[in-house]
This record gives sequence, structure tokens and C-alpha cells, in this order.
Amino acid sequence: MRGSSFRGRALRAAIAAALAIACGCGVSSDVSRELGALCEDRDQCDDRCLTGTRYPDGFCSVTCDDDGDCPDGATCVDREGGVCLFTCGDRSECNFLGEDWRCRVQPERGAGDDDEVMVCMGPG
Amino acid sequence: MLAAAVLLAPVVAWAEADPDSSASSAGRSDVAASDQELSGSLGAELGGRVSPGGLYVGGAYLYQLSDRDWFDGGLSFTFGSGAAACFQDREGDTVCDHGVTDGFGGEVALGMRRYFPGQGRFTPYARVAVGLRLVSYGADDVSGLAIPLEAGGGVRAWISERVSIAGAAELRVGPAWFNSDLGSEPHLGLAIHAAAELRL
Repeated sequence: MRGSSFRGRALRAAIAAALAIACGCGVSSDVSRELGALCEDRDQCDDRCLTGTRYPDGFCSVTCDDDGDCPDGATCVDREGGVCLFTCGDRSECNFLGEDWRCRVQPERGAGDDDEVMVCMGPG
Repeated sequence: MLAAAVLLAPVVAWAEADPDSSASSAGRSDVAASDQELSGSLGAELGGRVSPGGLYVGGAYLYQLSDRDWFDGGLSFTFGSGAAACFQDREGDTVCDHGVTDGFGGEVALGMRRYFPGQGRFTPYARVAVGLRLVSYGADDVSGLAIPLEAGGGVRAWISERVSIAGAAELRVGPAWFNSDLGSEPHLGLAIHAAAELRL
């Protein structure tokens, strides 16, 4: 009787473990090596590291020619030769990047001549 | 799904087996009598985050403890790809998001294998073990040590007096400790492999 109870618990534990594998539990982060991670040099990013007062604490980004080159939630901005930055509607949407980040109007790359877009940037 | 079925089948058999029944392969008249075996395995492991995955290669020594139970200890290595996948989030915490077939793992494990009554030349078994595992991601300069508990099982078939082949799957779950400010992280992997076993 006792043995059956132990085996029942073992069976349930094995099923729970198999389900844990199947769920594909991944990393939960707003940023990535591709876009938004802190950096001091390029090795810390997939493509490039933007530094200076416009990008407080460093910002991993990717070179782009238009929005199609950017990850979801980002827009191609006509700065630094074309870089992807997080799109925003107001400053609160940039708070996850740090307190110095704001929501600013910038020229959009790969769109019409006068098209502008709101993106998260530093005060510089 | 197949892996889950292979993984769970021996546990179900364990749950349902009559404790008094005998399942010793040593009782087979067509199998050489010996209490020692060597095993070599080749397969794949799925990891992810900070658990390595990729090509799985292993070797084990088995020693018979009782009619159904064998000591099972050995070495295994997992060779995955090496793309960098760690970064610092905006709070400055290191985060790694490696794929399921990334990294390197080298492990020594000690455990036990229990055989169950089979059908014909096929014999199912369950295996439990505890391992000490070195984990490394060279491109990120991240390495650590894991202590996984391993549970799984398989089915083996005798193909000659001394040689059998087996298909097996096992789950590794446990804690791991890393450098690079990662600290402690869960270790979780699923290995599926084929083995050739030689009775000494």
C-alpha cells in the first residue's frame, strides 16, 4: 500500500517535470542583445552598441535602412547611419530603459522625406 | 511527445509493477551470465537558457546489485553550438537566453537502473542518478557547475549473447551555479539517446 503511494507520487512528479520541459520556459526581459541591453562595447550586443548622452548607460541596437530591419516595437531612425530604437507614445513608455530616457521626435529612416516618429532616447 | 512517452513509460511500469516479480535479464538462458556491463550512448540533448544541449555522447559502467537493480555510473558530454546569448538587462543583471542546442556540458553521474519484466527480447528499465556537471558557454565566457537529479528510462533488446542495444530518454533537473554575475540558475535538460551495451 505504502509502495503504491510512493509510486503514485513518483509518477506525478515525472509528469510535472515532463510538462515543465514541454512548456519551453524562456527568459522574460524587455530588452535583448539585439535591442535595448546595457552595453559599453559591441561585443555585448548582436550588432552595435550606441553610447553617449543620447543613449544613457549604453544601448544595444541594430543597423537599419527601414522599419523592416527592426525587431517588433522598434522603428528605424535616421541617426548614426540608421538605427533601431523603441517606439513610444509618451515618456512613461521609456521608463523601463532608465530614468534619463525620454520619448522624443526623430526623423524616420526609409519612409517619406518629412516623416517623423516618436522613439525612446536620452536627453543629449 | 515520443520522448515524453519513452521517459514516462518506465515510471508507469514502476508504478504498476508487482514488487515481488522478477525481471532479471540474467535469468535469460540466451544471455551471458555476468554482473558487469559497459555501455556507450549517442544521441541528442535539449537544454536552453543556461542548460546545454546538442550532440550527446556518453559511457557507463553497470554492476549488478540484485536481481532487478544495477549500479549505473559514467561520464557524458554534450556538445552544442557556441553563439553568444547573454546580455545585461536595464537593471544591470546578466541574463542568458541560449537556444536548446547551445553550450557544452561534461558530467559524471552515479545512479541506479531497475529492470522490469519485458516481452521477448525487450526489457524496459528506469534509471535514477545524481550528477556533477560542468557547464560552459565559451562565446559568453560563462561557465558553471550543476548538480542535476536525473530520471528516465528506456527499453533494451538483446541482439547477441553479450550485446544489447537500447533506446532511452532522461530528464535532468537541478540547481546550477555560474560566474559572470549569473549566480544560481535552474538546470533543466532532456536527453534522448541510443546505446550499445556489452556484457563483460
